[in-house]
Amino acid sequence: MFRNMYDTDVTVWSPEGRLLQVEYAMESVKQGSACVALRSDTHSVIGALKRSVSELSSHQQKILEIDDHLGIGIAGLTADARTLAKWMRNECLNHKYVYGTAMPTGRLATDLADRHQRTTQTYVRRPYGVGLLLASFDKNGPHVYQTCPSGNVYECYAAAIGARSQSGRTYLEKHHETFPTCGRDDLIMHALRALVGCISGDGELTSENGSIGVVGKDERFVLIEGAELQPYLDRLELEGGNNAGGAEEEEGEGDAEEEEEKEDDVMET
Amino acid sequence: MASSGSGYDLSSSTFSPDGRIFQIEYAAKAVENAGTALGLRCADGVVLAVEKPLVNRMLVARTTGGYTRSTSTRASRSRVSSATAGRSLTGRGRRRAITRRHHGTKIPPATLSSRISAYVHYFTLHGALRPFGASTLVAAYDTGTKRHSLHMIEPSGVCYEYYGAAAGRGRQPARTEMEKLVVNPSRVPEGGEMISVSEGVRQLAKIIHSLHDDAKDKPFELEMSWLCEGSGWKHEGVPREIIAGAVEWAKKEIENEGENDEEGDDDEDDEMEE
Amino acid sequence: MSLSLQSGGAASRALAPPSTARAIADQGNQMTTRPITTGTSVLGMKYRGGVMLAADTLVSYGSLAKYKNARRLLSINSRTLIGAGGEYSDLQSIADLLRGNALNDRCTADSLYEEDNNEECAGEVWSYLRAVMYQRRNRMNPLWNDVVVAGFRQNPDGTTTDSPFLGVVDKIGTAYEDDVLATGFGAYIALPLMREKYRPDMEEGEARALLEDCLRILFYRDCRALNRVQIAKVTMDGGVLVSEPYELDTYWDFKGFVTNKGEMGTDGGW
Repeated sequence: MFRNMYDTDVTVWSPEGRLLQVEYAMESVKQGSACVALRSDTHSVIGALKRSVSELSSHQQKILEIDDHLGIGIAGLTADARTLAKWMRNECLNHKYVYGTAMPTGRLATDLADRHQRTTQTYVRRPYGVGLLLASFDKNGPHVYQTCPSGNVYECYAAAIGARSQSGRTYLEKHHETFPTCGRDDLIMHALRALVGCISGDGELTSENGSIGVVGKDERFVLIEGAELQPYLDRLELEGGNNAGGAEEEEGEGDAEEEEEKEDDVMET
Repeated sequence: MASSGSGYDLSSSTFSPDGRIFQIEYAAKAVENAGTALGLRCADGVVLAVEKPLVNRMLVARTTGGYTRSTSTRASRSRVSSATAGRSLTGRGRRRAITRRHHGTKIPPATLSSRISAYVHYFTLHGALRPFGASTLVAAYDTGTKRHSLHMIEPSGVCYEYYGAAAGRGRQPARTEMEKLVVNPSRVPEGGEMISVSEGVRQLAKIIHSLHDDAKDKPFELEMSWLCEGSGWKHEGVPREIIAGAVEWAKKEIENEGENDEEGDDDEDDEMEE
Repeated sequence: MSLSLQSGGAASRALAPPSTARAIADQGNQMTTRPITTGTSVLGMKYRGGVMLAADTLVSYGSLAKYKNARRLLSINSRTLIGAGGEYSDLQSIADLLRGNALNDRCTADSLYEEDNNEECAGEVWSYLRAVMYQRRNRMNPLWNDVVVAGFRQNPDGTTTDSPFLGVVDKIGTAYEDDVLATGFGAYIALPLMREKYRPDMEEGEARALLEDCLRILFYRDCRALNRVQIAKVTMDGGVLVSEPYELDTYWDFKGFVTNKGEMGTDGGW
């Protein structure tokens, strides 16, 4: 069970120069359900799979609005994500009060990463166990950022995190070159197709467990869920793609395993 | 690892029986595993170069990582390893530099470097903190003495001034390569002259590229910045077309050398460090 | 209330004599109630393709013309200018603050290259100043300035052309935007003239001539003004330009200036 004696504290380096507690925190991101984000030249889109604990319960919330121009998708510990979301909303509000303009996403992302970093440097607090995808449209255009518990932050054209996200990532990597010219709805479809691959077993993407957030030029951040999501799911159905074992994803699984290797040392950059 | 401390290596507030603090050495190991960062003090300026690994194909290379940062217009730093620890350090340096600005002068490079090193050192003293897993290169210009300089601060808090400094995965071979360049003013061969910034850019590009193993290592972006007369003694990114030119030249050089002799790769894992 | 039986507990503290610090606090703290070394008016005007500011270079100590070459128009970043009247030392500290922020923006930009610079636009600088001034005023310790901010405003989507920006913030945090602005005595003397002559399509030369006229009239009428002035502009492509101080020609032979009009035969007014 325990790898060694160096893995119980964030302030202890292992002989290989790794911080195992931080790496374990990175693992908790993979426990959360999948979340994808991608951008075109005009829009950013987040897509997420919502879990529910039983037939009797509602589905969790996976996409949170932060400001008019910005939303996040989460994978990992939801409570940690809410803490961070609250802080981010506050930052955006402050920025709007002080400067009269929307918070630049890059700045928010680095500030957020610094917040993560602080927890990895001192003894008293554990790292946040959540990975975030930020999708925004600010004065520099659309952005997608990915953050990790280690405090690393990446700006991406597209990204996928969470459980079984590898096949979603494979889908995105394969198609990301076509994203820039995509319209709003096409981008949403790409997000859904990437999500389908992340569903386990015989599951299906439905208007209950699917969730989409969009923001773009002249469009504030909106959530598309439930009945509003249905037309997109119908379109997906027409393509014959709404099924975890779809043809597209089969071939994706091939390089999934070798890619997984890459994930491991993400923190060292 | 040459030796491990077995029991004495769990906290930076614990000495081992032979007087070492293993936690610092382990933190240094984190730097050794990270992308290479080089700094070169040339006759007319300082050049920094960083191998910035791209974790996957969908990253926006331009803005991701940001390994080289300005702390003020006169000083800059680049650092390796856990990008995040480095960013926290950079922020600290920037605050120092900006605070000092209010004294009506720019902070002198040596002062800035020693302040950073004091801060880094502090993190090696407490059990509740961990040493930084980042080395910092500081390229700076002293507006008072009109001198430019390069410093490197290591996770232990050690800080030296360098003519050529290297950190990260490829530091050993990079040092060997840099020692061949004419950067030390006291060792300029007769009739020769010190290396210039533009030549420095090409040489660093060559070193970074020759150390990169396309088959084994992740794809990377070469990030370069300088501080020289041409940039108005401000820290700036080296214009992209100059980097592109340098890389083209470097690749050709490497190819030519490759034809002459087939060198074996340095084994990274078993390097003996002081 | 502590129930501790140890000495030095609640009982021993009960009748402590009022400290001197407390006595001073009871009188209240007096903060700045008037400025000491002051600059006078700043004029600002939009014109075709840019914004222009004008101010003289005098800093007065009461009615003493103390510093005659003090620059009150300052560049903050590559596309933003400020100009201020009021307490000169407060202006210096505001400039330090804003330039520090600009440097910080440069250092935390997304990459090393210009195009990723997160530089604040004039609208943001103005809004930031408003927050600072308002907060200081609520702490009853204002920065004693009227600050004019000139530059360009970025559109939120960052796509279409930016528009010229001209705004003012006063010492209590009132923020106001307009095509023509004047602070200090200029708000009474120069502003009506500027409003009368202003057209949105003015050329740079016209704008400058009008501002110089206004400065000259201010010099005639405002006892805290000087004919040594600076002009500064922000243009779309040229960025910020602040002129060196130079002197305006003056003409004192107007009939009204030399002949007595008052019944008393003194300087009752002309």
